[in-house]
Amino acid sequence: MSAKKGLFSTWLTVLGVAVLIGLYTAYKLFSEGHGLFNTNDVILWSLPLGVYIYLALVSSGLTLLSALPLVFGIRKYEPFAKRLVFLSVATLCGAFVSIGLELGSIFHMIYYMLSPNFSSPIWWMGAIYGVELVVLTVKFALMHKGDWHSGLSKLLATASFILALVAPLMIGSIFGITESRVTYFGPVMSIYCLLMAFMSGTALFLFYSLLVNKLTGNGVPAELYDEFTLIFTYATAIVVGFTLLKFTIESATVVPEFLVYHKFEHAFGAIQGFHTEVLLGLFLPFVLLLIPSVRNSVGGKIVTSALILIGTLLMHMEILLAGQSHPVGPKAEQYPEFVKYFPSIWEFLVFLFALTIMLILYTLGERYLKLTEVPE
Amino acid sequence: MSRYAMVIDLQRCVGCGSCSIACRNENNVPDGIYWSNKITETVGTFPNVRHHYIPTLCNHCEYAPCVRGCPTKAMHKLDNGITMHDPKKCIGCKYCEFNCPYGVIYFNWKEPHQFWKNNKALFKGGTSSPREEVEKIGAKKTPYFNPERGATLPANRPKGVVEKCTFCDHRVRKGLLPRCVEACPANARIFGDIKASDSDVAKLLGKFRPFRLREQLGTNPHVFYVRDFNPAQYRPTKGGV
Repeated sequence: MSAKKGLFSTWLTVLGVAVLIGLYTAYKLFSEGHGLFNTNDVILWSLPLGVYIYLALVSSGLTLLSALPLVFGIRKYEPFAKRLVFLSVATLCGAFVSIGLELGSIFHMIYYMLSPNFSSPIWWMGAIYGVELVVLTVKFALMHKGDWHSGLSKLLATASFILALVAPLMIGSIFGITESRVTYFGPVMSIYCLLMAFMSGTALFLFYSLLVNKLTGNGVPAELYDEFTLIFTYATAIVVGFTLLKFTIESATVVPEFLVYHKFEHAFGAIQGFHTEVLLGLFLPFVLLLIPSVRNSVGGKIVTSALILIGTLLMHMEILLAGQSHPVGPKAEQYPEFVKYFPSIWEFLVFLFALTIMLILYTLGERYLKLTEVPE
Repeated sequence: MSRYAMVIDLQRCVGCGSCSIACRNENNVPDGIYWSNKITETVGTFPNVRHHYIPTLCNHCEYAPCVRGCPTKAMHKLDNGITMHDPKKCIGCKYCEFNCPYGVIYFNWKEPHQFWKNNKALFKGGTSSPREEVEKIGAKKTPYFNPERGATLPANRPKGVVEKCTFCDHRVRKGLLPRCVEACPANARIFGDIKASDSDVAKLLGKFRPFRLREQLGTNPHVFYVRDFNPAQYRPTKGGV
């Protein structure tokens, strides 16, 4: 017992130190500017933005999953509901840390409300995620008080489900409506973001829950995880199909921007022309999930969901970087045909800060908020 | 209300770059940022090669993607068609820069004009340091600081916001031409109200067949290019097989 207590204190100390490092990073960025990033006027959006997209989509995926018991009334999944809502809130907090430190002038954010631009997908994305955070937090508070099925509670569950459905579409449209960057695939990007959200949300939930069960032992019946793993397998299958379709279009088209894009050296390398992160972070876990003995074992679930979680982040980064790597217009005068990127230490520290905030919330929530509680 | 536009006569343009230098001085543009820039292009294979030069600046598009995408309306249109930026509202998301099909918006990654804060002289006791130079002149931040730029925009933009060409709106409102137009020694830049049929801009657009950059995107840019500089001659031929 005391060994466990010691481990918990050590874990909190590590997180505390990471928060201090994160606060120092924030101070450095606000005082010295984003020249600390390895970005430039070609690669504008880098690791912190990729992390934001990743975490925001994971959060949306978790909310979509929570709709199974809370909106669609599948009561056998109720032991997962509270944890899903909580993880969604905590992950969204991590996403906001990352985007907050990515913005050049965060103190001007008041104009988000005072001077809104309703034609801007960025405005809609921020507004939707902001509202979603509030809705989810209130919903969680109600659940914590034992109010799962009141009118207000159901209304909030439905509202958060709709918001979680729209938010990934909005993230996709930020890239999709950009006239100058057709390699982002236009409206298709929105569908892609929604699919990735659902897959990565399911992956995070499985990975996290099984890990917590292993560590604390007070878990939920294993059959429920098997059913969730099946949902996870279907979600992965859809993303695999969509990714193959995207590759086929990419390689067959003769649109000039795509021909230039083909020359881009993949950020994470390639095996036989296929992106490494897609092969190892999407196709491999999908194949593993097709094997029943792997799919039904705890180890198999943890490994496949971990691979998907890493793969998804890298896939978001690859798409983000590949679409920006070629200078636009006269910027080609100052920069090479393709601009390479590797994050600076400060960008890694922003990533660490976002993760730390998430992990602190996960840890405290798991400890004090009875996340596997079900209504009486 | 006027609708301002610029015509660039590529036959007159000699590629001297005085537009860019004048712009930099007028608008206190920091190092690494180009409100006025150029696209150079080399075509053919040696020995049959030619060099082409297209001056660039903000196109002040009618349907500006930067304006549409800006979440706080920091990037906005003026009634006279100029695409303007308000750094006070800019959150530094860089979406306008990401969205601009012409590559003419830049971000202030760090405090601008840092070079002029440097206290180190090139030759100690022989030359003055950049900071000393600024102090001797009594200027703000740079020796070539132009306070007039501050009439409609912070004269020096802070770090963490974007910036771009404003068609020298602070001069235009006083009835002056944009500085790049005034500085062009070859009269290659012609500025005016495209709606007024008797303006030089309108006349030129009716005389030549203008083109605009990436017209197919439907942004309706208001920087037009006419003619081309090409002194090359060739003997009439039908080619051969």
